[in-house]
Amino acid sequence: MNHLTDEQFEDIMQGKDADLRHLSECKDCQNALAEKRAVAKRLQMAFKSVKPDASLEETIRGRINEKRRQLGLVVSGGRPWKTRLNDKMWSTLAAAAVLFAVAIPLAIYLSASSSAIAGQAELVRIHEHNMSPHTEFFSDSDPEKLAAYLKDTLGFTPAMPAEGHGLAIRGCCIAHFKEQITGSYVVSTPSGIISIIVVPDTPKDIAMDRMPAKKGYGQTFWKSSYAHCNMVAVRLGDYTYCGVGEISKISHEYLRDLLNRLLSDTQPS
Amino acid sequence: MSADTGSFEEIALGYIDVVYRVAVGLCGKSVDADDLVQDTFLKAFERFGMFEQGTNCKSWLLTILRNTWIDRLRHQKVVGNVVSLEDDIIDQAGEVDEDVKLNSSELLERFSDEQIIKALKRLPHEQRLTLLLIDVEQLSQNDVAEIIGVAVGTVKSRVSRGRMELKTRLESYAKEMGLTGGEK
Ligand SMILES: [Zn+2]
Repeated sequence: MNHLTDEQFEDIMQGKDADLRHLSECKDCQNALAEKRAVAKRLQMAFKSVKPDASLEETIRGRINEKRRQLGLVVSGGRPWKTRLNDKMWSTLAAAAVLFAVAIPLAIYLSASSSAIAGQAELVRIHEHNMSPHTEFFSDSDPEKLAAYLKDTLGFTPAMPAEGHGLAIRGCCIAHFKEQITGSYVVSTPSGIISIIVVPDTPKDIAMDRMPAKKGYGQTFWKSSYAHCNMVAVRLGDYTYCGVGEISKISHEYLRDLLNRLLSDTQPS
Repeated sequence: MSADTGSFEEIALGYIDVVYRVAVGLCGKSVDADDLVQDTFLKAFERFGMFEQGTNCKSWLLTILRNTWIDRLRHQKVVGNVVSLEDDIIDQAGEVDEDVKLNSSELLERFSDEQIIKALKRLPHEQRLTLLLIDVEQLSQNDVAEIIGVAVGTVKSRVSRGRMELKTRLESYAKEMGLTGGEK
């Protein structure tokens, strides 16, 4: 006698049409089904009382509003944007948000006249690529191995910050920046993930703004914000090191501190 | 976008309970779960313009949740696995005797909800997610297949194996806790 297969059990559990003749005659399968149902029911019950704190929803609403401000979608009157907006207004603003987040980077990317900003769009794209679960990532947390890999692929070893104090290098990735092969690596920090992207272009080429000088920082740092990312750049040797992180987590100052560490810790070879 | 378009908060945040439950199922009750929920909604907000209104928002959010979670696991893997020590209690039970079988729902009731969730957390990632979506969230196999990006047959086998694995873990836990006395 052939007992029910796992697949048949699952169909029965889902209430799908199934041939129940065997089940009606087989004690073993009846028991197996009862057991599966009992585990499923108990599992479901275990989550009955799992509910988010009200504060979590508040935090999310706050972060979304913050995002709207960054995207220039602030509602007049300073009233927190909740659900009072009428449909039309939302449509317009949502469309604007999409334009800002998707279409403009694309449009800019395609427009030759603003190739400087396109550089920023590419930096954001490389960062996003680094964050994507589908990325071909050389993932080794040993900086020496990463350095060797980058040297192999790029022909030089970019500077990397010393680890510690919550900093850990997670891996590196080779991407294209303005049709040229470019190295980047990912640093995890207590505030979030940062991509360090090394490009030949100067910060000016990428239309970044000079940051005001700060005591103890010998180098000139450059900053910019594009889409959902903050970025800070510094020139080191023949390359510009661009730190890119999410605006919601990583400030320009934070990026500058990180890049400054990179300068003092190592020199490129 | 259609005229009956609602705000992101109206449409998506209504699913916060679902998203949170699944996040807790994946990460346990922790700051990680809260972070995962936040990141999921933030990403969803950024992509809301691409969401087709009138389609299944819950599945859409759970797809983002799943991708965000996988992304994290990937990165964690690079830094080294971080496994909380408090969860190990479930693992210490070891092999199960043949005679310790969870064949009564009464025995299942003796576990606290927290113990069940912890046992679930020890399952392989994709099994855990599939089990959560099918048994806890009661989604259809087709929806789950779409969220996870696998064939329906794979969903069936994963949920079946996951449930079996969960049962085995609970059995060993029951033995460890001396919950099986008198039961057969
Ligand atoms: Zn049978």
